[in-house]
Amino acid sequence: MAAYRHIQGWRYPDGVRLAVNFTIDFDAQLFRRVLNEPPLELAGGEFGGRTGIWRLLELFDRHRIGLTIFTPGRIAELYPASLREAARCGFEIANHMWEHRVPEPEWEWDHIQKTTAALEAISGRRPVGSRSRHRLALLTRGGYRYTSSGAADEIPYYVTHDDATVLNLPFHYALDDAMYYHFGWLASDNAGQRVADCDTVFDIWLTHFERLYAEGKYANFCLHDFVSGRGLRILMLERLIGEMKKRPGVWFPTCAALADYCLEAFPPA
Amino acid sequence: MPWKQGYTISDERTLDHVEWPDAARAAAVITVDLGPECGPDGITARDLESEDTEYGMRVGLDRVLDLLERHGVTATFAVPAAVAETWPDRIREIAARGHEIAAHGDRHENPSKLARAEEAQRMTRATDTLAAVAGARPAGWYSLPRPGDRYAGGALSPHTIDLLIDAGYTYFGNGLADDIPHYWVTDAAAHRCLLTLPYYYHSDDQFFLMFPTPGRGSALERPAPLRANWLGELEAARAFGRCFAMTIHPRLIAWGGRLTLLETILTRLKDGASVWTGTALACARWFAARCPASTALRLEPSIWQDHPGSLS
Repeated sequence: MAAYRHIQGWRYPDGVRLAVNFTIDFDAQLFRRVLNEPPLELAGGEFGGRTGIWRLLELFDRHRIGLTIFTPGRIAELYPASLREAARCGFEIANHMWEHRVPEPEWEWDHIQKTTAALEAISGRRPVGSRSRHRLALLTRGGYRYTSSGAADEIPYYVTHDDATVLNLPFHYALDDAMYYHFGWLASDNAGQRVADCDTVFDIWLTHFERLYAEGKYANFCLHDFVSGRGLRILMLERLIGEMKKRPGVWFPTCAALADYCLEAFPPA
Repeated sequence: MPWKQGYTISDERTLDHVEWPDAARAAAVITVDLGPECGPDGITARDLESEDTEYGMRVGLDRVLDLLERHGVTATFAVPAAVAETWPDRIREIAARGHEIAAHGDRHENPSKLARAEEAQRMTRATDTLAAVAGARPAGWYSLPRPGDRYAGGALSPHTIDLLIDAGYTYFGNGLADDIPHYWVTDAAAHRCLLTLPYYYHSDDQFFLMFPTPGRGSALERPAPLRANWLGELEAARAFGRCFAMTIHPRLIAWGGRLTLLETILTRLKDGASVWTGTALACARWFAARCPASTALRLEPSIWQDHPGSLS
């Protein structure tokens, strides 16, 4: 049974009105391979590893804003140079499972350990966050301090599962690029496809941002290297970040930095 | 485990900077898919005689050819051999008007389940048919998606690229691993590879115009996102110095006001920073000369390992 503890009296550090976490699920072709998709789908994922991720790193580095990269441990073997560059830029590298799946229970702890080791080896920092459905007890045992999946609230909250409690930085599909742009996302069928353009997504995202900003909530954008790394979407993100920066008090931390603040200001029970 | 086998088809990092012909800021390649709507087994006799096909090969094709000519744009026509056999005069006319005729399968079939020998045989038949009709062997091969496909990138077998190299093809036309030409590697140790041109489904008209097909939903006609994607891709190609790959179907884009949309894009190609336009083959030749695989393809030694409890 999962239990949720909502944070009461939510507030940000002085001068901050909204925290915006930009996150990348850096999967490249790995998840496509796990799903046994055909060659050109893998190539579409490969775009993210060889082209898209570099554009995203350049964009966030140039804007000097925080970025968290959730990546499977095995990406360290596929695209090591991009992860080293991300670490050099000061971006956070976090756990997105070993090969983008939660394995059979007897392998789960092994996968968490392998991911931690691979990401620490390449970034020089031990990962403290996970976007996964790993068991919370195993994540906390592995030293993980927060997760980012699911949206039981519009602000960070605590999830308890089997006596393990973790801070969750909520992720909502409305702020997930692949939900708009990717054909057949999450195995959806053809009649359900409405491949969207950047202007539409810009309007939707800006509307969400403005409301969350006005209410002092929290925004967690989920980008994918092979989706938002396409040139026109980089240009859209450029416009979106520009709009956000016009407002006073928008904080762009890494997820780890926001988690540190939450754990300190609103400790679990 | 050899070089990331089963995971990657090219090198770890794209080329950041490419020079285009005429010192243009970007390139644009228009691919005209002449395949009638069909299923994964390929074009049937019934597909060839449908009203949509008749429109696409007659009135629609005339409208597209005239518009391209008015804007001085040469394009690449991806032609299934079955279409060339049915409309040989139309194919010769397209070639005579300066466009490229590329292969698009024997019957635009999905080759992914074909035995290697069967696929090779069909490839030979398609190549020979197009050569006989058009008067020149095709240099490019496409395997574009069909509207009913589960995946929108097109379908290949594990052997297709290798067979295309054996058959002497210059390029494969719809790759998704980059937004510029790149090399599809089939044997890393031998540096055996085929030049591949970019494609992306959000720049393909078939996913926006009565998609997936009447009877499967409402508001299926969505020119607005198609227009925004095309304009966005063009702007991004200029901003990043890349190749805008646009895919159109005369049976779709020629009809009524859709042609206005195509006209808008062709006009925008000439507005602003210069964009080189030409056939896929011209683009492939330019790229292969400027960025040959011997220097541009940078294959890192694999650090990919087999781990117990992991997929290989």
